[in-house]
Amino acid sequence: MPSDEPNLLPVAPGYKNVLRVRMAIAGLVLTGTAFIVDRVLLAPEGYGGLLVGTSLVLAIALIIVAPQRIYRRLRYGVGSHLLQVVRGWLFHTDTVVPLVRVQHLDVVRGPFDKMFGTASLVVHTAGTHNSVVTVPGLAPGRAAEMRDIIREHVGTDAA
Amino acid sequence: MSAPTLPDDSAVGPPERLHPLFLVKGIGGSIRGLAGLYAFLGYLVISGQWSFAILAAIASLLFGIVGGILYWRRFEYRVGQSEIRIDSGILSRRHRSIPFERIQDADITQGPLDRLLGIAQVKLETGGGSAGKNAEEGVLQAITLQRAHELRKLIRARRAGTPSVDRQVQEDRLPVYAMDLRRLLIAGAFNFSLAIFAGLIGITQTFGDALGFDPLSERFWRKLLAASAPLQDFALAHRGVVAIAGSTLLVVIGAATGVIRTVLLDFGFRLDRTETGLRRRRGLLTRTDVTLPLKRAQAALVTTGPFRDAFGWSELSLKSLASDEGGRRAHVLAPLAKHEEINHILSELGWRPLPDTPGWRQVSKSYVGAFALAISPLLLPLAVQALVYPPAAIGFAFGLAGAVGLRWLAWKRTAYALDGDRLLVRTGWWRRRLLVLPFARIQSADVTENFVSRRFGTANLKLGVAGGTMAGEIIPAIPSATARQLREQMLSLPA
Repeated sequence: MPSDEPNLLPVAPGYKNVLRVRMAIAGLVLTGTAFIVDRVLLAPEGYGGLLVGTSLVLAIALIIVAPQRIYRRLRYGVGSHLLQVVRGWLFHTDTVVPLVRVQHLDVVRGPFDKMFGTASLVVHTAGTHNSVVTVPGLAPGRAAEMRDIIREHVGTDAA
Repeated sequence: MSAPTLPDDSAVGPPERLHPLFLVKGIGGSIRGLAGLYAFLGYLVISGQWSFAILAAIASLLFGIVGGILYWRRFEYRVGQSEIRIDSGILSRRHRSIPFERIQDADITQGPLDRLLGIAQVKLETGGGSAGKNAEEGVLQAITLQRAHELRKLIRARRAGTPSVDRQVQEDRLPVYAMDLRRLLIAGAFNFSLAIFAGLIGITQTFGDALGFDPLSERFWRKLLAASAPLQDFALAHRGVVAIAGSTLLVVIGAATGVIRTVLLDFGFRLDRTETGLRRRRGLLTRTDVTLPLKRAQAALVTTGPFRDAFGWSELSLKSLASDEGGRRAHVLAPLAKHEEINHILSELGWRPLPDTPGWRQVSKSYVGAFALAISPLLLPLAVQALVYPPAAIGFAFGLAGAVGLRWLAWKRTAYALDGDRLLVRTGWWRRRLLVLPFARIQSADVTENFVSRRFGTANLKLGVAGGTMAGEIIPAIPSATARQLREQMLSLPA
């Protein structure tokens, strides 16, 4: 059978910045929690600063390393009748959605998306598992374009 | 009343109320619903504040009665030309209109009280993707049974655009599948269950402290034994007899639980073919009458266990967009059936019978290997235990070996096959499952790998099915390239 799998494309580079901001927030929460635990539990024992230091190093490593890797492994493609999203580093997921099974579509832009010029395309299927498939980090024009491509197929399923 | 419809609009139909006997049922329900209240009352009783407890009980009873009456007063439904309208809500009003073309069918349920009072609950099955999330959609709690049947007939007629087939004609036709008493008892025997003990433990855990009864504490048994010293001597003297008597009791209780549960649920099980689907009636105390529209069927599931399988019995259920009673996602079509009967039901659905030898392709051995690798970190505590207390370590080791052994047995049975335009997936050793999934019902497909499975070069193929479980349907541990190829083959067919 001739391969119908679509050509896989990388998402907009701005998505790396979105990821960095998200990681930074996660790191901040982690460090903040660590700080409180550190002050309350460890400082009286004489181990103050240990936990905060560790989590700070971890958070910085996360901000530097993770976005690049997540971005590099995130690929998407729209073919004549399939949408494919490939993602994941340790846990690798390769999702395919037949366009005729799509129920409805959203283009979502959060505050960080607006800041860095990206958008997410959210595809809803009738499935209980994986009923929402997201393609993050698209340029807004591209997201709208994909939505229009996929919209043509919505509801053409006989069932 | 703030109804947006004019009361005398003929297109909307005259307003109708629930049957007044709803109050008997509804008050019971609204009182039963206040679970927090019981805890509160229990607390008051235990702490000795009797007068306050009685006051609180009376107050909540009044609350329940007034609430029930208000709900009944404020609940109206209208059967119009093209839709059914339901206006409900005591303070915040909800005006719902359900067009006939969206109503798949009406499910009629009668609890024991309903049957005494001659009323029934009607659920308008709209079967959207949101079913389950919004179970309240179109439920008429209590109307007369006669009105319920009228309503159903009307819905079918409106939907089809043609007069409905006379009920009498249907009754005369042979059922697609039915259970006689003998079949029911066999099914009950296979539903052997010791769940009642789990329930008892749960209850004593929750209430045991208050009752001074806690079978999980050693002191309880010591006290009991001390109180029954003669019995203790007897038990020690006749250990064999006591062991046999105890096991017999367990078996009897387990079998009885299974039979009682099955009889309550499946008594008078009957499946009929209707114009649009399969109609199922069952239940001893609570009678249910459910029609499953054929168009909504997503996948068929044949489940069995090692014992039932040995006798050639299995259960057939259908994954559907609509959810079954009690929140079960799969509609049971036959609780206990032979293979020919299952094929017969499938043919009534318009599906091909299951092939005898579908050409199973077994999954990779990494199904066992990756599992063994995943639980291998447990070897560390095992080693520690072996040093500290060897007898416990032996038991632990047997447990681990048993887990891997069961996984191996499951692997022997885990296989998939392509049967024309549908996929067959067979899994499990204890819970044997055979999924029949038409390609056209696959909503999405994931190929997932992780750092362990990549070592074996295998992947899981996860298929999204409407009305399935959150985990999706999985073909585990097949070579990555095969998974991708299979996926392409299943999804590339023009819909």
